[in-house]
Amino acid sequence: MLRKFNARLLQLSNNAACTQLVSKLPLCTSAPIEDANKKVVSKAMKAYLERAKEHDEFMAQKNLEFQIGKRHLANMMGENPETFTQEDVDNAISYLFPSGLFEKKARPLMKPPEEVFPQRKAAEFDLMGRPHHFLFYTGKPNFYKLLYDIVERVNECNRYEDAMNRKSIQRDPNLVLEMSGYQWLDKDALEKQCVEGINDKEYNNFKDAMERLTKLPYSYKVKDFIMEYSRPLMMQTKTHDVPELQYDKDGKAFITTYECLRKRARADVTVSSPGTGKITINGEGINYFDDIHCREQLLFPLIFTNLHKNVDVVANVEGGGPAGQAGAIRWGIAWSLRSFVDQEIVEKMRIAGLLTRDYRIRERKKPGQAGARKKFTWKKR
Amino acid sequence: MALVKTLANLKSVQILTNKLAALSVVQQNGMSMYPPYYINPIFKKDAQVELFENGEAQKLAHIPTKAALIDQTCSIYYDDDIRLFRNYIMRSGRKSLARELLDKAFEKVKRSQLEKFHKAKTEEDKNKIVLDPREVFHMAVDNCKPVLFLTPIKRGGVKYQVPVPITEKKSQFLSMKWLIEAATDKERTVHFPEKLAYELIDASNNTGRVVKRKQDLHRQCEANRAYAHYRWS
Repeated sequence: MLRKFNARLLQLSNNAACTQLVSKLPLCTSAPIEDANKKVVSKAMKAYLERAKEHDEFMAQKNLEFQIGKRHLANMMGENPETFTQEDVDNAISYLFPSGLFEKKARPLMKPPEEVFPQRKAAEFDLMGRPHHFLFYTGKPNFYKLLYDIVERVNECNRYEDAMNRKSIQRDPNLVLEMSGYQWLDKDALEKQCVEGINDKEYNNFKDAMERLTKLPYSYKVKDFIMEYSRPLMMQTKTHDVPELQYDKDGKAFITTYECLRKRARADVTVSSPGTGKITINGEGINYFDDIHCREQLLFPLIFTNLHKNVDVVANVEGGGPAGQAGAIRWGIAWSLRSFVDQEIVEKMRIAGLLTRDYRIRERKKPGQAGARKKFTWKKR
Repeated sequence: MALVKTLANLKSVQILTNKLAALSVVQQNGMSMYPPYYINPIFKKDAQVELFENGEAQKLAHIPTKAALIDQTCSIYYDDDIRLFRNYIMRSGRKSLARELLDKAFEKVKRSQLEKFHKAKTEEDKNKIVLDPREVFHMAVDNCKPVLFLTPIKRGGVKYQVPVPITEKKSQFLSMKWLIEAATDKERTVHFPEKLAYELIDASNNTGRVVKRKQDLHRQCEANRAYAHYRWS
């Protein structure tokens, strides 16, 4: 009887593991009570059952409160409470409690209690207090099970490689797993998935292990497993939308970029096409800059895209010195030129470092020092 | 040179994977304003063509790049070594002055080479004269590069000058430094660009003070060869 019950509990916990290693408490609460009177129940199990009951009651009450609150909110907004969705709730909250707080977590919210209160693990041991999980005594069974799984996959790949070598079958070079566009699950997400706290060192272990797995020649065999723990990265060129071209009275296409910043300089740059390569800075020509390297900087994006004879540039710039002003206009030109060229050249411009805003600024002077880094001459007395 | 740079860039790709680790501990790139996973820009056109041909560009699609520096362009007049040399000439951050001096020196080189070219009688002599000042510069730097170096090592309370091989980078640095030192060591009436042009032409012909300095160093290394084993014992 007991064995059967254990098996059932195990099955339950396995199911729980499948559904993202998380299960709600009520899963295990109803079954044990009938058998509990006959068998010896460990103290740990008793305490657990108590806690589970408490938690259930708490959640039920919160759920009730949430439902009532939702109905009230629906009435306040003049909507039908029966068809009031979570999306409507969010909209209503942001309408009724507008918040200028930068941190999104700090803004007022109204979510179902399952999302607000942290999820808890189901029972990890049976009535006798004996743990189900073979890694229970590591303290972080789900996390270590994950590492264990990674090693399993590594061995699997190695075995496969050996078999292929024995048959002297060459690996298809096209089947290599390309992970350059992916990033490993971050620490918070992994913690949530494991329902366990993970420290930095352990997280690094996870990443190292995953890296080692992906580097294997036949890692594409376990692609599903790897993808489960990675998230796609956004293409860098797609992080900013390219604006649509505007047209003036004469039908000339133009783009104006405001707030082109570099050091202390600030510029706004208008690039128009068709043009002849005329550059106007604060009403002057390229001679506005005395130094040759500043003029070179202006021409850099134009030469790079081969548009130096096809577009006109008008820039207004203020603040800073010549190098900062030239840098600001260079960024403005490059940023505007994105609308005049195709996606491939935008990517090339990005790799050339033209589309990155140069955030470097002068380092401040420190007290007790001659400059930002320079020290006073050391005198014994 | 370009290839070396792309390889260096690819190395930094791997840093991205350790991004979070790097951020969580101490930032590994010192006082840099950029996060550690930013890669250096590849701004030269031929380097980019290479990048797109061998498919490395796809790997960079998800990695942000640093902004190109104020003295980097894709112009045909851009040269990495000359940029470096200009920065070695620069004092107290006056880059435009350094550039002016170097440009003047190149102009002098061009003029004096042209003069020689027109004075040369035969076609054979004319062909021997290099007219491009950039080429003259590269030849001069190459000719002044030492292969050995003396470093003081203390053994038994006595300091020995021990000859050691030096890296490519360091030998290039020494060569450029010596050229600048030779050009700075002049009479008051002579200007720096003039003297530098003179030294560059001399060095490109494998003669002159800087080449002699290199040969002296090599001779001294040869004389101290008996101490060479102090490097490891």
